[in-house]
Amino acid sequence: MAIYILRRMISTIAVMAMVGIFVFLLLRLAPGDPATIIAGTKGTPEMIAAIREQLGLDQPLPVQFVRWALSVLGGDFGVSMFFGRPVLELISQRLEATISLSILTMAVSVTIGVSFGILAAWRAGGLVDRILTAFATLGFSVPVFVVGFFLIYFFAIRTRWLPVQGYEPIEHGIGPWLVHLILPTVTLGIPYIAFIARVARASLLEVLLEDYMRTALAKGASSYSMLFHHALKNAGVPILTVIGISFAYLIGGVVITETVFNIPGVGRLVVDAINNRDYPIIQGVLILTSGLYVLINLAVDLSYTLVDPRIRY
Amino acid sequence: MTISRRDFIRVGMAVGTAVSIPSILRAQTSPADSRTVRMVMYPPTVFDPIVGTDDVSQNHGLAIYDTLFALDSKFMPQPQMVGKWGVSDDKKTYTFELRDGLGWHDGGPVTAADCVASIRRWGQVASGGQLLMERARDISRKDDKTFTISLKEPLGVLIDLLAKVSVPSLFIMREKDATRPAADRVTASIGSGPFKFNEALAKPGASFTYDRNEQYVPRGELSDGLAGGKLVKVDRVTWINIADQQTAIAALQAGEVDFLSTPSADFYSVIESDPNLALQVLDKGGQDMCLRMNFLQKPFDNVKARQAMLHLIDQEAFLRVMAPDPKYAYTVTSIFGNGTPYSNDENTGWFKRGGDPERAKQLFKEAGYAGEKVVILDPTDWRAVNDASQLLAAELRKIGVNAELASSDWGGVLERQANKGPVENGGWSICITSDFDFTQGDPVTAVFLDASGEGFAGWPKNAEYEALRARWADVETLEERKALARKMQGIWWDFIGDIRLGQAVLPIARRKTLTNLIEMPRIAMWNMQKA
Amino acid sequence: MALLTILTLAAPLYAGDPLKMYPFKRLQPPSPEMWFGSDNLGRDVFARTIFGARISLMVGLLSAASAAVIGLLIGVVAGYSRSFDNVVMRVMDGLMSIPTILLAIALISLTGPGIGILIVAIAIPETPAVARLVRSVVLGVRGRPYVEAALCGGARLPKVLWRHILPSTIPALMVQAATVCASAILTEAGLSFLGVGVPPEIPSWGNMIASSRLYLAIAPMTIFAPGACLAVTVLAVNLLGDGLRDMFDPRAKRRR
Repeated sequence: MAIYILRRMISTIAVMAMVGIFVFLLLRLAPGDPATIIAGTKGTPEMIAAIREQLGLDQPLPVQFVRWALSVLGGDFGVSMFFGRPVLELISQRLEATISLSILTMAVSVTIGVSFGILAAWRAGGLVDRILTAFATLGFSVPVFVVGFFLIYFFAIRTRWLPVQGYEPIEHGIGPWLVHLILPTVTLGIPYIAFIARVARASLLEVLLEDYMRTALAKGASSYSMLFHHALKNAGVPILTVIGISFAYLIGGVVITETVFNIPGVGRLVVDAINNRDYPIIQGVLILTSGLYVLINLAVDLSYTLVDPRIRY
Repeated sequence: MTISRRDFIRVGMAVGTAVSIPSILRAQTSPADSRTVRMVMYPPTVFDPIVGTDDVSQNHGLAIYDTLFALDSKFMPQPQMVGKWGVSDDKKTYTFELRDGLGWHDGGPVTAADCVASIRRWGQVASGGQLLMERARDISRKDDKTFTISLKEPLGVLIDLLAKVSVPSLFIMREKDATRPAADRVTASIGSGPFKFNEALAKPGASFTYDRNEQYVPRGELSDGLAGGKLVKVDRVTWINIADQQTAIAALQAGEVDFLSTPSADFYSVIESDPNLALQVLDKGGQDMCLRMNFLQKPFDNVKARQAMLHLIDQEAFLRVMAPDPKYAYTVTSIFGNGTPYSNDENTGWFKRGGDPERAKQLFKEAGYAGEKVVILDPTDWRAVNDASQLLAAELRKIGVNAELASSDWGGVLERQANKGPVENGGWSICITSDFDFTQGDPVTAVFLDASGEGFAGWPKNAEYEALRARWADVETLEERKALARKMQGIWWDFIGDIRLGQAVLPIARRKTLTNLIEMPRIAMWNMQKA
Repeated sequence: MALLTILTLAAPLYAGDPLKMYPFKRLQPPSPEMWFGSDNLGRDVFARTIFGARISLMVGLLSAASAAVIGLLIGVVAGYSRSFDNVVMRVMDGLMSIPTILLAIALISLTGPGIGILIVAIAIPETPAVARLVRSVVLGVRGRPYVEAALCGGARLPKVLWRHILPSTIPALMVQAATVCASAILTEAGLSFLGVGVPPEIPSWGNMIASSRLYLAIAPMTIFAPGACLAVTVLAVNLLGDGLRDMFDPRAKRRR
């Protein structure tokens, strides 16, 4: 097991290195140049050239890359070209909002999604199943921002129940924190609830058709105990897998949700950074998210052993 | 115990409160704090207002730095940091003495040496500053509070230059900041202005906080434009970046923010119909929208093709798209804008109406246009210009011009705009941009009015016009300047340096509780009050 | 789905010009000449919605097709060649670990907005999932007796791949392609929302919603029409995917 984890950690680093090279090249080949943006509309060519020199952008690409790669290896992700602050500091400022939103969304989606899935599988083919399946398909089909605007319109502008935008750090109290996250969580969560419900339903149905389940049924196990004791345990693996895969998609949704609800999170940071061509921030965020993605999937793989004792590494 | 009616009501209220929990929580999150103002602003990305020429950087500068002179509401320069000043009889030596009580946010006093260094740094970048440096023989400190500027020959506009709000304004920085090379951005954000930048609460790209500078000693005069006493009447101002307009308006309606710097014109009716909100024009002149053509490349290297554009453009139609509310949109045919003293109608009769596609088609033909690609730079994240570019492309195609939109974000447009080459090599033919109307009253610093061939995007070139423009700084009286302006415009509309698309006045939106805003082309945060 | 395609292809026959602008007729309510009213540049929302279907469907189908084809090639080869597998699947892992939208935004910033680059930008992040799926199917089939028999019988490897292995990947691939298509249409809308999607002149549902989102209160039709079409289309594609799954999966049939 330890060897397995070690091997996975090494491959994580390999993936991050690859993402690093890829992103570096992608950005430097893209048109747009931070120096012209810093100098602004009325910046003179001399000024732009001077700023380029000062940022080290006049150096040949390989030199820039080696310089950057060495500092990243030393744990230094560089300094934002615009704000003049360390990238890690900028990311950590934004991290709490994004993590709050992601974890809350995941928790809510898993809870509701799995319950919906169980409910639908339990009465497969019935009215409840049909309604839930319809919801699941629909939830998967409407763009996140459309849902967001409708929610804002009804729950924030018309009724004034919930705030329109913004984020309150958890240190200001759990109430304000939660209130600001309700609408974003619902918005972001709908597709995941739908997705997880579908997967949960399908894998439960699959398990329910297995021979041993028929045996259990024949032996007179109640449908309740069958669902919870036998089926759910076996359906756990695909559900966990989906949660792992969803992470990368979740970040995509986070970018849009953060824009709609004006949450100052990592998603906004990186979109703004792309617009400004603030290379160090983009590179830092992408490398860290890809590392996180790999680690989360590792955690998911390891948790299989908890759900299904037959799996060993 | 019997339950009295009063108890019953009390219980009822408690239940009622419990039911409306969200509103309680909301009350906690947004305390009705009349000492804190929350403004939706574009976030500054460059904190050195000498390097960053965009308006946000200038607004940031205005909050934390002070200026030697400042413009009053009539755009006349008045002393601000300067206490006493005088000029020698030969008009070649100016002596300035700083007023008492000026101090940096880090505790040190403001000295003449700080001012000298700041002027020199500004002189490297600002067009007004470059003019000053050309004419100056010496700028030097005499004692801690006094410095002099001595000139090779008199410069009538000197005080105006020092007071200008055109970019970049002369903000006074600490000597150790101001002695850095111009391209090396100052990141310290320590000034001597009425607000202190709160580094601890700064969240770049998301929000910035400015605290009242307790030590600031305002001038005795009443506040007038950017001049006079800068009295700060709130404790804290937070600038919030809200990327989405819809969200920003909703936040303003819900009272989560107090101020919105640029509401979209399509929301004016929504704002006007809300009893808690108001629109207010802070910058009376607004923005002049301008279409720049690339003088160096086909087809606009030919004056006939430029004439065609002047005939083609129907300003009314473009205004409907860029600034849909007619209350805030005007046509403009003078290169000196609508609101400046030099606005005039010289040589405008021949194209006045515009909107003549037949004539335009004919002129394109005369220019020898043979279906070359005409590339229009189209910033997708600047809504008004994005819409105008689309309309322009449609109008051009109607008369058989092979127009193509080059859409990208603002960063991409800026980079491509700098390319002087032909369109095949990543160059461009047309771009639409804007500048303050009031700036057009100052040909020395207005980028649109430069026809040196080396100036702003489009690089128009006309020697005759430039000879007249060079005389501007030395003309003494208003009447003489007006006459000079007419002559300049006469030539301009012959060689057609650019094309004006109209004037858009952009009101801000505020909650009615926020009052006494300063009505100038910059957003200044002193003087305002919140009930 | 078929109805949608026919309606789309026949668009020029009955809808007006989606590009024609009437700047003096902005944000008009629905009327006989403009069934869904006009947008912020005075363009016909009905015509734009109908023509928008072309772009949205094209982006969806082409992204799905390219992701499927490239994913299939990589998956089949990776399933068969151990050395290739190691290298390429690590690259796929890397691509998969970058969030779709961010990767797409970065790719689009390479060339500026355009339909071609948009399809590439959507297809690239979707490819690894397809490749993985195909690879797992190939790995499963590879050891089956009939494949080994064919190889022993002297059939050459490419022929075996083509005749025996490829067909077994088709069902899973079709289902996956439907999912990719649905998510591509949504991603296009999301990218347009962030301002990096299809160039603004070209009508696509995503950029219609994105550029009209300011007018939700003033001219709801400008959002509602493309929004509803988008949802219905994605729904149709998703249902198609479900249908395919049921068709190919014998176990699902047994359930009925």
